[in-house]
Amino acid sequence: MDVISIIRPKVTGYDEEDSDVEMSDVEVNLDKDSGLKTDVVTPGELVTDDPIWMRGHGTYFLNEKTYSAVAGSILKVNRLLSVIPLRGRYQPETGDHIIGRIKEVGHKRWKVDIGGKQDAVLMLGSVNLPGGVLRRKSESDELQMRNFLKEGDLLNAEVQSLFQDGAASLHTRSLKYGKLRNGYFVKVPSSLIVRSKNHSHQLPGNISIILGVNGYIWISKNVSSNFDSTNSKTNKHEAKLVNHGKEYNPGQGTLSIPKLEESSWEIYSDKNDPDISESIRSTIARYVNCIKCLSHCEIGITEQRIVTAYEASMAYENAGSLIDVEVMENIGSDVINGEKMRGNG
Amino acid sequence: MILSPAERSYLYDSLSVQPPVRPDARSAHQFRPIEASCSFLPNSNGSSRVRLSDGGEAIVSVKTQVVLTKNESSLISIDVDINKERDDSNFIKNLISSLESILLKKFPIEKLKLTERYSFKVYIDCFILSHNSYPLGLLSLCIYLALKSTRLPLLTSTVNDREIEEQPTFNDDWEASKKLFEPSEHQDDPPLLFVVGIIGNNVFIDPSNEEEEVSENGLIVGFANGEIVPPVQSTNLSNRDSKGISPKHILKAYSMVRNCGKEVVKALNTVVSSDDDVFTSIY
Repeated sequence: MDVISIIRPKVTGYDEEDSDVEMSDVEVNLDKDSGLKTDVVTPGELVTDDPIWMRGHGTYFLNEKTYSAVAGSILKVNRLLSVIPLRGRYQPETGDHIIGRIKEVGHKRWKVDIGGKQDAVLMLGSVNLPGGVLRRKSESDELQMRNFLKEGDLLNAEVQSLFQDGAASLHTRSLKYGKLRNGYFVKVPSSLIVRSKNHSHQLPGNISIILGVNGYIWISKNVSSNFDSTNSKTNKHEAKLVNHGKEYNPGQGTLSIPKLEESSWEIYSDKNDPDISESIRSTIARYVNCIKCLSHCEIGITEQRIVTAYEASMAYENAGSLIDVEVMENIGSDVINGEKMRGNG
Repeated sequence: MILSPAERSYLYDSLSVQPPVRPDARSAHQFRPIEASCSFLPNSNGSSRVRLSDGGEAIVSVKTQVVLTKNESSLISIDVDINKERDDSNFIKNLISSLESILLKKFPIEKLKLTERYSFKVYIDCFILSHNSYPLGLLSLCIYLALKSTRLPLLTSTVNDREIEEQPTFNDDWEASKKLFEPSEHQDDPPLLFVVGIIGNNVFIDPSNEEEEVSENGLIVGFANGEIVPPVQSTNLSNRDSKGISPKHILKAYSMVRNCGKEVVKALNTVVSSDDDVFTSIY
């Protein structure tokens, strides 16, 4: 019976005799053209004393010299010098497919936690509302905002634009975006997510996955999108109640697309699919552990690697053993070796 | 921690099927892996550090003092300190009272007796650096390790001081020190507390943050020397309304803790003995 596994803390001891490394012995890799360091820099490290460089993100200037403010690699664009941090909070970019959690409902907008420095903003005008895409947002919509999305709700969205201060403005104006259901949420460092064309994938075992660029991952049962109308009715009913008896017709007085209206309340439903089988649930749990393995081993997360890790994890009949550090490292090395064998590692 | 309604119902449904599918695929009786070490604080009689895989971390130090037995109401004093939490908050007071209720009852007090007049007083200081789930289980493991690694100096003066008053004196050779809990004496190990979550008909040990959030109720079960010991308390692991506990739940939790407890004690004792080797090699 596997009850508890205890590991010992790793001793990163330095040899007492040679604890001091002579600075002059360290070979510094210098770029021949620019006289800059080419490898990784640490905070406070001198990057250059050449005043010709413009200082970008992750650097600071002191006594005519440029130092690194973060731990990361140097990026040069023409004369602009910046340091890209190895780790850090997610920095949104326009077009990123992300997952966020509603933090606050405000005036015509939702504040969304996306794991960045600032909360993102989702304007009431940037979501699909019941009653079709092509309509204006009315005052009754503003009063209904909590019926669409409330605090704690998870959604996937796209970064529409960035504000001056770097905060993101999101939109969910597509049927592939919106509330998340039928699954489980995992968080990994955003630096591990490899940007690609497509961030939602189908995995073996009838599982869908959304790899948010911000490191938030949603693993769910693959549900084909034939909505039943029961859920939409319940939510519609709630909406009516809140409105103090006054009839609330979504998108009243505007043109609506009938097909969309039928499915529209559906996209804000909180109800999971009633028949998610146990095998699907255990498959999701196994995928979750595989993603944690990749994250533990600091391997960039892509669809292909998740599938490889999942296949490697099949060697362990009990998916619960995947939480052991030793097993996690085995799976990580399996993934890396697999890529090397195929020649793309 | 806040969950969306869909997440909450997914977790709840997964944990209520038979057998429960836990979010990290653990079985119901499986703990999260921990990283543990002990006897590393040079100024304490015993110390330990335990880290959980979810980032929780606790350090416990055991110090002893020679006191006049008749002046002390209790020979054990427990203090818990949590980062960013007030010392007089309910959360901390509840933790301390749970720990006291088992330690004061199940601690072999006679081991602390020095002479007719004098005893050791044990101060158990716990510091929780960070925690995501309810820290009692973590703390209990940590206290176990610290107590198991506790060493007391060897008494050189006479044990009988009833007639002639005499201050106890000790051997100042630390190598001659004695362990508070000798490894051979299996009969009185320090007690442990386990946290058990309850959902539907299922019980599961060492609930993670999310599991706590959706659990209907929680149980704290004491365990010492291979048997279930009081206290057995119910506790509300989430901030939401809890449901009742049936005797079935309690019996299930009992048999689970009885089975797991032995394994946990065995694993913890291995840590103590391996760190003990390190200790003796230094001194």
